[in-house]
Amino acid sequence: MQSAADIAWLIPVFPLLGAVITGLGLISFNRTVNRLKKPVAIFLLTSLGISAVISYAVLLEQIAGNPPIEKLFVWASAGSFILPMGFIIDPLGAVMLALVTTIALLVMVYSHGYMAHDKGYVRFFTYLALFSSSMLGLIISPNLLEIYVFWELVGMCSYLLVGFWYNREGAAHAAQKAFIVNRVGDFGLLLGILGLFWATGSFDFQGIAIGLEDSISQGSVPEWAALTLCLLVFMGPMAKSAQFPLHVWLPDAMEGPTPISALIHAATMVAAGVFLVARLEPLYTQFPFVGLVIAIVGTITCFLGASIALTQMDLKKGLAYSTVSQLGYMMLAMGCGAPIAGMFHLVTHAFFKAMLFLCSGSVIHAMEDVVGHEPILAQDMRLMGGLRKKMPITSTTFLIGCIAISGIPPLAGFWSKDEILGEAFSTFPLLWGIGFLTAGMTAFYMFRLYFLTFEGSFRGEDKNLQKQLMTVANQEIDEEHQHEAKPLHESAWPMTIPLIVLAIPSVLIGLLGAPWNSQFASLLNPEEAIAMSEKFSWGEFLPLAGASVAISTAGISLAVLAYALKKLDLKTLVVDRVPQINTLLVKKWYLDEINEKIFVQGSRKLAKQVLEVDAKVVDGVVNLTGLLTLGSGEGLKYFETGRAQFYALIVFGGVIGLVVLFGVLGTPPN
Amino acid sequence: MLEFALSAPLESIELVGAREVSADFPWLSLSILFPLFAAFLVPFIPDEGEGKQVRWYALVIALITFLITVGAYLKGYDPSINGLQLSERADWVPDLGLKWAVGADGLSMPLILLTSFITALAVLAAWPVTFKPKLFFFLILAMDGGQIAVFAVQDMLLFFLAWELELLPVYLLLAIWGGKKRQYAATKFIIYTAGSSLFILLAALAMGFFGGGAPNFEYINIAEKGFGTSFQLLCYAGLLIAFGVKLPIVPLHTWLPDAHGEATAPVHMLLAGILLKMGGYALLRFNAQLLPEAHAQFAPLLIILGVVNIIYAALTSFAQRNLKRKIAYSSISHMGFVLIGIGSFSSLGTSGAMLQMISHGLIGASLFFLVGATYDRTHTLQLEEMGGVGQRMRIMFALWTVCCLASLALPGMSGFVSELMVFTGLVTDEAYTLTFRIVIAGLAAVGVILTPIYLLSMLREIFFGKENAKLVSETKLIDAEPREIYIISCLLVPIIGIGLYPRLMTDSYTASIEALVKRNLASVERLNKPIKNSVIQTTNITETRLIAPFIPASIEPSN
Repeated sequence: MQSAADIAWLIPVFPLLGAVITGLGLISFNRTVNRLKKPVAIFLLTSLGISAVISYAVLLEQIAGNPPIEKLFVWASAGSFILPMGFIIDPLGAVMLALVTTIALLVMVYSHGYMAHDKGYVRFFTYLALFSSSMLGLIISPNLLEIYVFWELVGMCSYLLVGFWYNREGAAHAAQKAFIVNRVGDFGLLLGILGLFWATGSFDFQGIAIGLEDSISQGSVPEWAALTLCLLVFMGPMAKSAQFPLHVWLPDAMEGPTPISALIHAATMVAAGVFLVARLEPLYTQFPFVGLVIAIVGTITCFLGASIALTQMDLKKGLAYSTVSQLGYMMLAMGCGAPIAGMFHLVTHAFFKAMLFLCSGSVIHAMEDVVGHEPILAQDMRLMGGLRKKMPITSTTFLIGCIAISGIPPLAGFWSKDEILGEAFSTFPLLWGIGFLTAGMTAFYMFRLYFLTFEGSFRGEDKNLQKQLMTVANQEIDEEHQHEAKPLHESAWPMTIPLIVLAIPSVLIGLLGAPWNSQFASLLNPEEAIAMSEKFSWGEFLPLAGASVAISTAGISLAVLAYALKKLDLKTLVVDRVPQINTLLVKKWYLDEINEKIFVQGSRKLAKQVLEVDAKVVDGVVNLTGLLTLGSGEGLKYFETGRAQFYALIVFGGVIGLVVLFGVLGTPPN
Repeated sequence: MLEFALSAPLESIELVGAREVSADFPWLSLSILFPLFAAFLVPFIPDEGEGKQVRWYALVIALITFLITVGAYLKGYDPSINGLQLSERADWVPDLGLKWAVGADGLSMPLILLTSFITALAVLAAWPVTFKPKLFFFLILAMDGGQIAVFAVQDMLLFFLAWELELLPVYLLLAIWGGKKRQYAATKFIIYTAGSSLFILLAALAMGFFGGGAPNFEYINIAEKGFGTSFQLLCYAGLLIAFGVKLPIVPLHTWLPDAHGEATAPVHMLLAGILLKMGGYALLRFNAQLLPEAHAQFAPLLIILGVVNIIYAALTSFAQRNLKRKIAYSSISHMGFVLIGIGSFSSLGTSGAMLQMISHGLIGASLFFLVGATYDRTHTLQLEEMGGVGQRMRIMFALWTVCCLASLALPGMSGFVSELMVFTGLVTDEAYTLTFRIVIAGLAAVGVILTPIYLLSMLREIFFGKENAKLVSETKLIDAEPREIYIISCLLVPIIGIGLYPRLMTDSYTASIEALVKRNLASVERLNKPIKNSVIQTTNITETRLIAPFIPASIEPSN
């Protein structure tokens, strides 16, 4: 019997076909197709649904213990160079396939509600299907080059979706920034891939790892070169998974529609970097130094993201920095040589963070009815408050997400984050310290978000506050299109059902990775799972787990005191005492400014200078010689009338030169 | 002067690729002469003066020419043979040694197809031309024949004639139908190209008369003459200048932004789609194939010039505020990969150069067509006078986005495959020292970052953001019409086809490229024999030192 894994190549093909068909329809029969909202949605949901079914079958087979399979064909060849493409199905890929199809499906259902009144509804769904296809292709790629192909394609989809509302200046800049920062990472990734190919003659993961080991032991590749190549490759995941200092694009990318923030910028695409590092595990385990670098980068990112999230007033930006921080945790796990822990956090985080983003979308959707479609107003928490009474489902699921991400047992985030912290404790204790501190910050800022949004009294109708916020953002309220304020209400079922569905794994999925009996680990790496459960002791587990629960509780209590009970005034207590730190955090560690000053302005200036050289020097020399030879202000006009003569003169000169040449040559001595 | 003496021909005749297959039907002569002949009938087409009849005539002729070249490819061309095929030969002016010799191998066949394809689309793009339509279409058809001839002829003197024949139509097309500064641009174009093509004539005469006896300019004969190294170097340098203007190579490029900045859309398509490729083709055909020993010495220079092209032109493109000139500079930047590919001694890299030419021919043509179509609506090319156009021209926006993504080498499109092949070819090219390869690959990869910067910020300034009120009130921004969508789709089909399955294209020329590279490698080895340590490696080390300070921090060892 044919197994599902044999037809796994169809998983990315179905959504691709769907996207291509609707895309062609949009180009050729724009008006008609744009009106067919429901049929298009059903069509694309079906195509993605089929992929999801195959993905689940594949996952079940892998759980049942089927061996991994790999199928290849020759894609390009020249001389002795042969480049195979194809697909690979292994437990790691199977988990990701199921995860991505599930979240993509839920996000699609959600989008049906969220984008219902948008002019670009069909276009949005087409992009969604295209993204799903590229992401699924990335997962089943058997070699680095194919990964690179899909890597760029998901980047393109992210560009298209961030810039989806292209009449907004912010979206336009954010889309461009996302693509270019990712290209900076891809620059390293591409060079790394090429270098590894030079060193090992191979593009596939195992081949590279084994080849590099051999080359180093034979001395044909020096150790420093191998290290450099590994770090170059890591630049790709750094950009895609928003690691410091290449994280700058992710918060800006929140300009895209919120379902996109949930799917691409929280659950799937940004996790691709972590996934790639997991794929490259056989390579990276050879170099402890690379592991250390990855762990440090992860820790810095983790701390940086959480610290900036403390002061964010924009609901989505707060969640975005939280994503940056959580991705840092995953990288920390990878650097500690614990890919299973990292992947487990990836899975749990995908569920609860997608849910949190979708909740924020539900909130924004409701706020837009009150304050209008201006994102500066609709996303600012200063205008929210008291939404719990009006939006019970959204607020409950958001609260579940907050508990999950804060690491309170038995919700999902506890198990995965604790596993990472445990690994870090035994490998790099110092980094554990920072990660531990960050866990407290996480709990604080998440509950801060919750209380500001859902508790207290509603502040959205305050026109003065609205005006103030707009002035701060250097914008004016559009008086002509003044929005008619409607009452707040819970979102429609297409938006609430995905929230409820996502809440289930957010609560329960962590139990699959309980350290004494980790089903997740036994799927990815059975030997390590056994080792893990043998090594497990309550004596080691309880103190560490207790400590992280304690610091999370401390963070939550602080948030409760400050924002729910208002017993603590953080402004007088902290902000006024250390204003520098507060400004530093509000200004996002000045990284955007530095980026703007050095790279954006710098490259503009350089380009301008080069162009000036081009126009004045390179071109100037040409025009000048033209003038000098003619000795008249008529300049180039002369050539028009005198072209033939001028040309003849040169031909004549050339022939004379030729004659001289022949004189020199004489008759060749043969 | 001993060095000018003959050197022994390459050992194995197989390396020269002398096996030749004659054509059983004069496919190539027909594809050259048919559009030329048809062009001369244009004055007799009954036409009211608005071009309504003559454009149909031109379209039919261009399509038939395209079909003839497709027929030649399907019926008379076997991609597995590396030698000359479809060859025809007839004496023309025997006293001068001038022969009508045409033929095709892997280097020319894909470009012949590209030429007839792009020309047919350019005729369709020229639909709105109403000013002197007869002359316009006459010139386009004449160019069609002339350009096919450039790729198909197998005689160097004939090549020179074809090269010149195609200059005159371009000059007139620029000077009559161009923009405001058309006289300046056309003059500059003709001075540059005509001036530089003198070197072709000189080299052709020198190579044809070499060795005494009756002059013979056929490529095959020239290849067997076995020139001395100094002679080769001299000819190589001359030809490099001539073809470097055409390709163009920085700093010989300044005619191009002016010419492209003033040309109308269909001429633009031909300039970017075909004319630039003549430079690349000629470099492969003459410099790499006929002068292998000089090529072995000049190749590092080509690679360095290629990197300069990529970075320099990307930066100038970024700073440009004029849309046409911006795309023109991006063409120069993309041609840098062709140079790197030609300079690499690997069949993968050279294959990549060939594919980059084809790919850029398609992508460049589509971008320039879109520039023309946008200009027809906005009546401005200055980026600051546009903005927010996307809301009224959604399909146009989509087409622009796809073509820009193709141009920035997005996987799934042809540009990615060709650039990847050039990169991989360069990195695995054992003829160069490791340091040289690292530096060059690192710098060329900077282009990978720069290209999206200028293309995406261009897209942003045209289409994204709030509508430019002045533009909207003064112009009629209608969305793309079916003819325009059709032209772009025709170009996108091969772009995406090659991107998904590159062997569609590469299989048609791999055999020839491999033979060429084998021959070049043989001459590198011969060059290295007298001195124990390879010359090419020592040359490289000095060159590497020259540019070493530019190594980006990221490729330096981190510990």
